[in-house]
Amino acid sequence: MFWRRRKDSDFAQEIESHLGLEIDRLRSEGLSQAEAEAAARREFGNVRLAKERFYESSRWLWLEHLKRDIGYALRVLSRSPGFTLVAVFSLALGIGVNALVFSVVNALMLRPLPVEKPEQLVFLQSPTGGVTHSYPAYRDYRDRNQTFAGLVAYRVSPMELESRDGTNRIWGYLASGNYFDVLGVKPFLGRFFHQEDDLHKGASPYAVLSYNCWQGRFGGDPNIVGKTIRINRQPFTVFGVAPASFHGTELFYWPEIWVPIMMEEQIEVGNPWLQERSTKNTWVIGRLKPGVSPAQAAANLNAIGADLAKQYPVSDSDSHFKLAKPGLVGDILGTPIRAFSIGVLILAGLVLLAACTNLASLLTARASDRQREIAIRLSIGATRWRIVRQMLTETIVLSILGGAAGYGLAVFLSRLLSKWHAPMDFPVQIDVNPDWRVFLFGCAVSLVAGILFGTAPAAQASRTDANAILKGEQKTWRRARLAMRDVLVVLQVALCFVLVSGCLLSLRGLQQALGMRLGFEPRGVSVVGLDLGLSGYSEKQGRNFQRRALEALEQLPGVISAAYSNSVPLSIDESESSTFSEDLPNPRPTDGISAAYYQVSPQFFKTMGIQLLAGREFDWHDDHSAPLVAVVNQTFARQVMHTDNPLGKRFRFGLGGHLRQVVGLVEDGKYESLTESPKPAVFQPILEQYNPTTILIVKSSVPETQMVPEMRQAIAKLDPHLPFFGTGSLEQMLGFAFFPTRAAAVALTAFGVLAIMLAATGIHGLVSYAVARRVREIGIRIAVGARPAQVIRLVLSRLMVLLIVGATLGLGLALAAGEVLASIVYQASPHDPEVLAAVVVTVALIGLLSSWAPTRRALRVEPSIALRVE
Amino acid sequence: MATRDEKGRIALLQGTLDLLILRTLRYGRQHGQGIARAIQRLSEDELLIDHGSLYPALQRLEKQGWIRAEWGTSDNNRKARFYLLTKTGKKQLLHETSQWRRLAAAIARILGPQEMEG
Repeated sequence: MFWRRRKDSDFAQEIESHLGLEIDRLRSEGLSQAEAEAAARREFGNVRLAKERFYESSRWLWLEHLKRDIGYALRVLSRSPGFTLVAVFSLALGIGVNALVFSVVNALMLRPLPVEKPEQLVFLQSPTGGVTHSYPAYRDYRDRNQTFAGLVAYRVSPMELESRDGTNRIWGYLASGNYFDVLGVKPFLGRFFHQEDDLHKGASPYAVLSYNCWQGRFGGDPNIVGKTIRINRQPFTVFGVAPASFHGTELFYWPEIWVPIMMEEQIEVGNPWLQERSTKNTWVIGRLKPGVSPAQAAANLNAIGADLAKQYPVSDSDSHFKLAKPGLVGDILGTPIRAFSIGVLILAGLVLLAACTNLASLLTARASDRQREIAIRLSIGATRWRIVRQMLTETIVLSILGGAAGYGLAVFLSRLLSKWHAPMDFPVQIDVNPDWRVFLFGCAVSLVAGILFGTAPAAQASRTDANAILKGEQKTWRRARLAMRDVLVVLQVALCFVLVSGCLLSLRGLQQALGMRLGFEPRGVSVVGLDLGLSGYSEKQGRNFQRRALEALEQLPGVISAAYSNSVPLSIDESESSTFSEDLPNPRPTDGISAAYYQVSPQFFKTMGIQLLAGREFDWHDDHSAPLVAVVNQTFARQVMHTDNPLGKRFRFGLGGHLRQVVGLVEDGKYESLTESPKPAVFQPILEQYNPTTILIVKSSVPETQMVPEMRQAIAKLDPHLPFFGTGSLEQMLGFAFFPTRAAAVALTAFGVLAIMLAATGIHGLVSYAVARRVREIGIRIAVGARPAQVIRLVLSRLMVLLIVGATLGLGLALAAGEVLASIVYQASPHDPEVLAAVVVTVALIGLLSSWAPTRRALRVEPSIALRVE
Repeated sequence: MATRDEKGRIALLQGTLDLLILRTLRYGRQHGQGIARAIQRLSEDELLIDHGSLYPALQRLEKQGWIRAEWGTSDNNRKARFYLLTKTGKKQLLHETSQWRRLAAAIARILGPQEMEG
């Protein structure tokens, strides 16, 4: 119940009436008025004390005190705006960075998928990391298991969608009919498709739109349900719209459309796999039955897998399961992303530590400047607890201000980040908008920072010896205090050293990665992607179109050479196949060596700048009527063919495949990631086997920005309705491969800059304080003839020691941290002497520059004024 | 602060004041001064109530919800704040009384019969 506080006046009245009643009684016993009054007051005791006790017993007293403390804190803080600004700024940076990093981690690792009971969902993968399953195998697991309430299959697929803004190549999911029902998502509009809508091949031309697609491509048409839209130039009926919060089952692949998986042949034209046990290309998520543990479910799946292996020894021999958290393609993205997130979280923690160190040393300095004020308050009767509380209130007010500013910063930055699209032809987008978890995190960090780093200075201040201070002695706890401040500065310099070296190392790694030999020359190369299959071209039309497009491109001014292929190295679309040495007449699957393979046109190597070491390029005669040929790289020659000179020799492509003769040898390159070790690769003539996915590649002497629109125009002349994908310079396309390195470099640079700012403020504060404290001493020294050099030594000698100690400590930490960093950032070597030298110089410069202003102040001390200071 | 001679009187044990106040209010509403006087009278002047500490105790009991207060007029026509026992206050009084009796009896058993003393 709400207990209303009695008014003080009401209580005073009660005491008055008490005294009145007592006087009446005493008078009736025969005392005079004056005697009675005196006796009554005596009996009552101290009226004031009673009133005070009444006041203190009030429930709202703490609030009253808090209000007063906060008011006082605000007054005190506004009286030293410099201090307040620096403290709030430090904290805002520290807390802002942490809230931002936390909101990313939250989005990637903590926030569950927006479906019913997300904790029951598991992603099916093999213990060795394979994440895909064949559709027939999925059906077997779905129908034979006893441990899942449901298993859904889905696959990220490109589609050609006609909408009011023309024809676009978009990404959607091919999903099993039970997809929405098992996940437990409720439609925003209309309905979803169900299992019974997905029974027969090609018989379910239905689509569910994502909220964003509905809004963006169909203008939020309220009557969209039941309408017919065209996907891959074929009619599909819109069943419904998914809720705005649901972006599919992969955090990194937001689909615009869901289509029943039975429509596979209409969506992935010319590549039927629904009956293919050996085409493993489908992702599977399962919902565990209540009470079933993941281990039980895995055992259940493994038992089914063993049966399938007996039934289909060729395709299903290796069926073992591990259940992973859904959302990040099992462990494929999950493991590196978790490692990266934790790394960044640690760095952010270091920045926060640096910010708090700043705050603590500022507070300590302030506490010692406020000794007089505290001594006076103590001597007029404030308790030590009251002093501590007051100082803590100030710190917490500061940390709340800093936290609010930091949180605002984080919200702003994460909005930007959520809108950002990765520079690649894939629906990579991620929602990092902060939610309540981030808010709580921000609050908790601010309060913990304030309390943790404010308590020690406050406690120290409360130990002030009021007598000594007021008598003018200032040496009471000076030694201990300075020791603490020194530790803080050393810590800060060390942190700064670690962060700056991390920043420089990753930048250097990035620089080297950008300059390294990729096995091709991206400069001056432009690419335009087409998917002829989606647009309904037959093989004959497609081949004809490819040839005509190539001829048109070759006519463009500034073109040096042009080619096309099904994919280019280091793009996300990478195919692999097993290859076998010719020496094995009857190879088993385990004998195969996995090689990256590309289908390429004549002139491909010249256009891509891939060095031909021996033999020849493909020519226009290498078509389906010619003998089977291939170009291989050096690693392939060594690993598969056991020779350095493979020309004229043969190998087997695919289990049960034909033998191919090698006609050319090219240099090794990077195919999947920058960090991979040399990998075998095979190139086959695209003329021999048609592929509707066409990446047109042009090497030109004119800039790519000029080339790309010209290429698009030239192709639009041939077919104006053909949608493009992945157009741009090849260097732009490499964004995907460089993404981890770039992300690390950006993050570390930001942290490095923050660390420099914080360390500079910290050192500036230390030196300013040292100068301010010693104005008198400096004045005396100048008065008795100290030279400027001596004054500088006086001011800076201690700082130099601290810098050296901090840098040494930081060097050790940086070397240790560098090892971790080297595993993320390609070619970042922790022992790079140039980097370490640069860090030492940077830290020394920070020290010098940030102590410059206060040192000058020391040199300008006027003895006559300084001596009159107190 | 009390200036009266305290030698002949027993200082109140911690917490017993609440019980005595509740007990006094069993006979009906009473103001602060009346409560103090009543305790003194009922204890045959053995117990000294510091009037100053009476009010924080009343404040406390009011907050607990065991008594409530209203302004009224005293017998000799003075405005006074009267305190009344609430329903929960009555229960609390019963509870505390039995607690106190048990405590007193236990202490008495330990101290033994009066004759044994000294």
